Amino acid sequence: MENEADNLQTLHSGPVVAASLSLLLAFLTLMVSHHISRLTKGLDNMVHAYGHWIPGSTGSGPDGSIGSYSGKETLALIVWLGSWLIFHQLWRNQDLSLQVWTRFFVVSLIVITLGFFHPLSDPIVLFVAGLFGIH
Amino acid sequence: MQAGEYIHDHFTKIVVRSQVAIAFTLLLLLPAANFYYPTDYSLKAGIHGVSAMLAIVIGTYLTHRAIPLIKGMHVRLESLRRWVLFASVLNLAGAISGNWIYMRYRGQDGPRDWILAHVPNFHNVLMEFKEFVSLFPFPLMLAAAFTLYYYGMPIQYRRDITRFVGITILVSWSFLLLGFVAGLVLAKLRFV
Repeated sequence: MENEADNLQTLHSGPVVAASLSLLLAFLTLMVSHHISRLTKGLDNMVHAYGHWIPGSTGSGPDGSIGSYSGKETLALIVWLGSWLIFHQLWRNQDLSLQVWTRFFVVSLIVITLGFFHPLSDPIVLFVAGLFGIH
Repeated sequence: MQAGEYIHDHFTKIVVRSQVAIAFTLLLLLPAANFYYPTDYSLKAGIHGVSAMLAIVIGTYLTHRAIPLIKGMHVRLESLRRWVLFASVLNLAGAISGNWIYMRYRGQDGPRDWILAHVPNFHNVLMEFKEFVSLFPFPLMLAAAFTLYYYGMPIQYRRDITRFVGITILVSWSFLLLGFVAGLVLAKLRFV
């Protein structure tokens, strides 16, 4: 089929890799900002400051607030959409190996997910924080 | 590899659809009951519960559409991408309503205070895990929807791309389940 050959030539896998890499980076941002915010009150306020635009990010009493979670979400959104735009522009005409990428993608997702499991991640986070002199 | 579709006869279709309709209605009654729960937060809890349950149902249905994609079979892409887009919207609704109800969770004398006082690990481990992995399904499903719309019909000539879309849908669903089960456990411990 001539048509099929044409289509094969015009399709590039770059945009798929761009869309999925950017969300990996967003999840990584969530993880890093989450662990940073748990170290000290000052760092928590710093992360929280990014999220003040989200309704319900501040407040107290029975209705509560989502606190610094808003800042973590904001940072992740910025990284996600920003990096997606950049990678898409860079790779929209590139063909990257999806076979290699699929493995990397799934393994990275598992590692990031485990990073949110505190019994596993806390010792590592405290060790890294110790290297920076944060206790 | 091309495989023909398995066609159900008329009676089987009626049985399958009736089962789905009954199961779906019964399942939806569970979160919909939140609307009648005697609390100031019944609306928030109801909306989050219903959107989460719908996202689970649609996500689970989509896993059945994802497997042919992974196997490299021919699928009806126009209908699939509409479902994936719909699932993305539901996942977004689940995340936004989750933010909304999370405020009360952390509020004065809210579920967090109770859980920390009685079974702290359910907050320190389970909730701190759930609040993040529950954000995963939306971007994953959106990436799948984007891919299906961006490439359009010619995507069927690139089996590696359709396979990746299928895997993304499955992964999105598995995070949905993780968040959903953790959410149910927390709601069981202490309601908002």
